[in-house]
Amino acid sequence: MSSSLISRSGSRLRSLMAFATVALLTASPAFAASNAGKYQAVLGDCEGCHGKNLAGGVALETPFGKLVTPNITPDRETGIGTYSLEDFRKAMTQGVGPGGKLLYPAMPYPYYARMRDGDIAVLWSYIRSVKPVKQAQNVNQLRFPFNIRFAMHGWNLLYFQPTALAPDSAKSAVWNRGRYLVEGAAHCGACHAPKNFLGADKPVLTGGLLQGWYAPDLTGNKVSGIGNWSGDDIVDYLKTGRNAHSIASGPMADVVENSTMNMAGGDLVAIATYLADLPPSGGPGGGVDRRDMQLQAGARVYRMNCAACHGLDGKGSAIFPPLAGNANVTQALADTAARMVVAGSKAVATPAAPTGPAMPSFAWKLDDAQVANVLTYIRNNWGNSAPAVEAAVVERVRAEK
Amino acid sequence: MHPSRTVSRRSLLASAAALAILATTADGRNISGNLPWSPFAGDPPKPVNPLGWYFFTPGEAATVEAIADRLIPADHLSPGGKDSGCAVYIDRQLAGSFGQASRLYTKGPFAKGLSTQGYQGDLTPAGRYRLGLRALADYTHATYKKDFVALTPAQQDVVLAGLDGGAIILKLKPGFSTKEFFELVLQGTMEGFFADPLYGGNKNMASWKMIGFPGARYDYRDHIDKHNVPYPRGPVSIYSAEG
Repeated sequence: MSSSLISRSGSRLRSLMAFATVALLTASPAFAASNAGKYQAVLGDCEGCHGKNLAGGVALETPFGKLVTPNITPDRETGIGTYSLEDFRKAMTQGVGPGGKLLYPAMPYPYYARMRDGDIAVLWSYIRSVKPVKQAQNVNQLRFPFNIRFAMHGWNLLYFQPTALAPDSAKSAVWNRGRYLVEGAAHCGACHAPKNFLGADKPVLTGGLLQGWYAPDLTGNKVSGIGNWSGDDIVDYLKTGRNAHSIASGPMADVVENSTMNMAGGDLVAIATYLADLPPSGGPGGGVDRRDMQLQAGARVYRMNCAACHGLDGKGSAIFPPLAGNANVTQALADTAARMVVAGSKAVATPAAPTGPAMPSFAWKLDDAQVANVLTYIRNNWGNSAPAVEAAVVERVRAEK
Repeated sequence: MHPSRTVSRRSLLASAAALAILATTADGRNISGNLPWSPFAGDPPKPVNPLGWYFFTPGEAATVEAIADRLIPADHLSPGGKDSGCAVYIDRQLAGSFGQASRLYTKGPFAKGLSTQGYQGDLTPAGRYRLGLRALADYTHATYKKDFVALTPAQQDVVLAGLDGGAIILKLKPGFSTKEFFELVLQGTMEGFFADPLYGGNKNMASWKMIGFPGARYDYRDHIDKHNVPYPRGPVSIYSAEG
């Protein structure tokens, strides 16, 4: 009896001491900076490319060859443990490592260049605080001539404009915060902006093709963009991975899981405010004649393979996303939609929407022409309107199997 | 020792211990959080090659085709069992997992089971077909001096009715009766006639058209309120991409 009392009071003492230590740590400026810095890492989705432990090793397929993300833990040999704050700031905002080594713009420094000095400083405190991992990465696996880092000088001269965003006094503070996040740390355009022939992002969020996915139009276009989404819809999507219009899957599933899901509510509202205000894009560029043979054949494929979940009316259900009015299927390029049919797709699972439903692969059953037909049908039914899909797009996705 | 008491207390305990050891070394996987998923996943049934015989000899194949054509004769309702591919279906089944009894324990001790428990001996389904068809050939040669396929349809019906009704006893093995052989072939023929065409039978989905079964469709919500209205769409198979 008495011995159990002693051990109980002993454990109480230990927990008190632990509490005191935590209180001490949280009160220290270093901890506060690292905590605020961790939030900057969430905003910038560092884990998305550098991995959960930030030790890198994630392969990025670019049109110019393969880049493997570097180790950014504070390990002194294989990570960035020898960096100073100034080294880190230059890498983030100028794309230049210590010794003048040029970074490739797969590292979104054209976006991070817009981050405020204070935000970068607290992010650096956080990076300094994570566990060092000794793990070397063979970063540059690009093809000639892109493997010559010096060439990035020319690229930077052409496309890199490291200008801070001047607040727009005509807009609200919330809008300005949203722009700071979208065009800065959150680097939405790295995927959602169209690319030029050297991979530079154009300064609009009208959709872009990247690593075999077409990241959709985020403007106010009502067909291909999110013009029919309310501000709450955008917040729901970023917070839970789904809303009444769409479900996050593919690369966006990772973005939700690593980044937007953990953003503060106020920041999500700010992002939604900014996105909802983007002027509508020109859209995907015209639909298909109702008598088109692809449409007719696609309707038969749809009835057999898709209708059970997405409904003959294209409205979906509580679990399955609608296809009517779903911008993911009406993008200018149908690569993402083709990928979902051929490879299948898995929605992100978040604490608020934990199911994470999956779509099965139809590669075993539908040939390239049948997939192209059913996509053409989906893109031009229930009010949707987008160009016909060619079998070659489907063939390209299938080749990755 | 009592003859029916084939499982002793000692062997039961020994096998329970063996099971416990096996169970602890079994390869398991814990799944928590999200269900695993990978792109291009799928384990669809592989459509059979419709040509040639994989298990039957040409003589056996001809006999099974003749039997299937008497069990399901061609008439105004449907083609016969042979043209529907029933023998092809049975052949592919016997050449595969079913024929080898790959999911069944087929070693001794062999106890006499109840009729509801099925065959209890050491023969695989493929072995039972081979034995039964040889015994049937022996019977028709002894009785008619002909192969089964050379008999008239009326004679074939007499033989089949005899196998089913007990009038004919073939030389098989203990535990595998003539009636069980007949029922094995009847079961395979029915499966071949009604199974999805990808398995080799039910050619052109003829049996489904006959009974009005729409096949592997899975969404009837546009028809569910139309009471007493026949479903207007024809059948589709698992591999039908359009319908």
